[in-house]
Amino acid sequence: MKKILVIDDDQFFAKTLEAALPTDKYTLISAEDGEVGLEKLKSEKPDLVILDLMMPKLDGTAFLKKLQESTDLPKIPVLVSSNLSSVKKISDVMAMGAVGYVIKSDESLQSIVQDIDRVLGEEVKKQQ
Amino acid sequence: MNIALFSGAALVFLIPILAVLVFLVFYFYYSFKNKKKEITKEKQELTRRLYELAILKELGERVGYSLDVEEILQIITGSLRQLIDYTAVGYVVITPEKIKINTHIEQSVGSLFLKEMKEKMLASLSALTNESFDPATLDEVVSGAIVVDEIKQKIGSLFNIPLVINGKVVGVLTIAHITQGLYKEEDMTILYKITGQASEAVSRLQEVVRMEQGKLNAMVESMGDGVLMVDAQYRVVVANPAIKKIIKFGENKNLSVFDFVDSLGGKFDIRGRMEEVATKKTSYLSERINIDDSFFEIGVYPVLHALLKGESQVLGVVVVFHDISRDIELERVREEFTSMIVHELRSPLDGIKKIIELLVSGSIQTDSEKVKEYLNMAHQSSASMLELVNDILDLSKLQAGKFEVNKESTNIREIVENRIMFYKISAESKKLSLSSSLSSNLPQTCQFDGQAVRQVLNNFISNAMKFTSQGGSILVSAFVSNPNESLPADLAKEKFSVFPEVVDLGIKIPSLCIVVSDTGIGIPEGSVKDLFHTYKQVKLSHSNNESKGTGLGLVIAKGIAEAHGGTVGVVSKEGMGTSFFFTIPLS
Repeated sequence: MKKILVIDDDQFFAKTLEAALPTDKYTLISAEDGEVGLEKLKSEKPDLVILDLMMPKLDGTAFLKKLQESTDLPKIPVLVSSNLSSVKKISDVMAMGAVGYVIKSDESLQSIVQDIDRVLGEEVKKQQ
Repeated sequence: MNIALFSGAALVFLIPILAVLVFLVFYFYYSFKNKKKEITKEKQELTRRLYELAILKELGERVGYSLDVEEILQIITGSLRQLIDYTAVGYVVITPEKIKINTHIEQSVGSLFLKEMKEKMLASLSALTNESFDPATLDEVVSGAIVVDEIKQKIGSLFNIPLVINGKVVGVLTIAHITQGLYKEEDMTILYKITGQASEAVSRLQEVVRMEQGKLNAMVESMGDGVLMVDAQYRVVVANPAIKKIIKFGENKNLSVFDFVDSLGGKFDIRGRMEEVATKKTSYLSERINIDDSFFEIGVYPVLHALLKGESQVLGVVVVFHDISRDIELERVREEFTSMIVHELRSPLDGIKKIIELLVSGSIQTDSEKVKEYLNMAHQSSASMLELVNDILDLSKLQAGKFEVNKESTNIREIVENRIMFYKISAESKKLSLSSSLSSNLPQTCQFDGQAVRQVLNNFISNAMKFTSQGGSILVSAFVSNPNESLPADLAKEKFSVFPEVVDLGIKIPSLCIVVSDTGIGIPEGSVKDLFHTYKQVKLSHSNNESKGTGLGLVIAKGIAEAHGGTVGVVSKEGMGTSFFFTIPLS
């Protein structure tokens, strides 16, 4: 059973993603901004983080930076899912250590679930 | 005897007649000769005058368009040979750098002759200008026949004519001859005429040039763009106040191109571009260059003078610094606005899409609570998008000046009460108290657009609810305020520490004032100034997952208030609360 932390201020996204995920494989926790996200990262230790970029308080980019720079935060793969589609943004985010970038509005729930499967599958392979 | 007497008598008559005849013949002969002499003399005189005129005309043409005093003197001395006989001719001229003496020798003379001539020329110039000249600073040129020391002849006749331009003596023209007494005042009239003509022509030309330059300078001085012009030797000819400000020079410093090269550093190769433009005779326009806090587009243009045969000569280079900071700022604001709008629309639309996807895929039971929940979410998303679209429409109408405000007799109390009722349930669910305070000084009806005022109230009230935590309070008050009086005493605003004073309202005549106050988190001081005119939502902590909003509502509120001739404003203290207000003047 894999734990997924969704950090996004759009509660609809978290809810719909939860409904779309096969309940036998994944559980979902959510956080509404980067600050709460950091806390939950430490306390819940998820297997995957799905991160939005435009959020109040601590936004996605700042969150990634903190993750990259810290030594005591667990190194959990981060899949960025956002509506921002500028090429510059995508390359910046990938350079900061994200494992993937999903443009929410371009993909269906199904394909996002497939992305999650793929990322977690690769992680499993890495660990083996 | 009678014949002898007769011939005797005839002779006596004839002799006087003969004498008279002879006398008459001689008289006419001499008279005729004199006349002939006179005519010849007149003819000579006329020829000479025609000749003079021709020379004057030619000189006039050659001198006509030159401002170079030295050139003019050279032309004159060069043509004098045809009119006046001289051993040597010369001129002395005052140039900005030094004094120049130029002598042309027609017939060989000794160095003594030359020396004396120069001394006399300088003496004349000194006398005319009341200045003395140091012989060491003289630039001397001698041309023509050679100086032969053995020739001991001295100056016999000498004549000086000053060259005066615009009232100032700029030089002296001198002719000298070894023969004495050659140059008499009346003979020299031709010289006076020539120099007089030249002087007049140059004076007039200088005046015209001065006027045109004055016009050009005035124009360049007043230009907002920075203008720099250099001549073909890269000396600074024009540098207007605007460019001195950009490069940060004092007003009266003498500028050179190096000052510009230093100041611009590596940002712009001004020297290189000027050379390129001068050689290729094309213009150059730069990309945006950042100097301090401003952005400039720098244009470099050659100053070309069209010669005959279709060629052109480069007289100099002009550099124009055009400030595009405002254009760039506008561009940035527009980009920001567009990306904000796109994002605000994409999220809710995507939400709806995904919800429908879920429902269609059958992952959820069709009659479960979950479905209701999802459909509500979809409804909320579409409602907020519609609101955004309406806001954008209103905003564009405001910006185009086409926002119409229909002033009608409307009851403000009704509108306030109606809005309170509308938001009551929502406020209660957030555990916020929502109440109204309507002063007794409110008239029954006022002239304003009820729909528009409702829109502003919606925006203010929903903002207050967003930024006030549970247990807080919101108050909507309405009253009439007079500029020099204090606020009415019957407003129930005790709980609200942040409330506008009369001076905050900014009214000039008695106005209807509506204030929405809350005990929320307040707005940081630095963010207040941006509130009513940028598209960024003020970055505040959100108490829950409300939709972020776009900040357009406040811009529209401002537009509505101003369309009524009123004001809009805010007072706030972080951690204590906020009051948004708008006023409508009572006609």
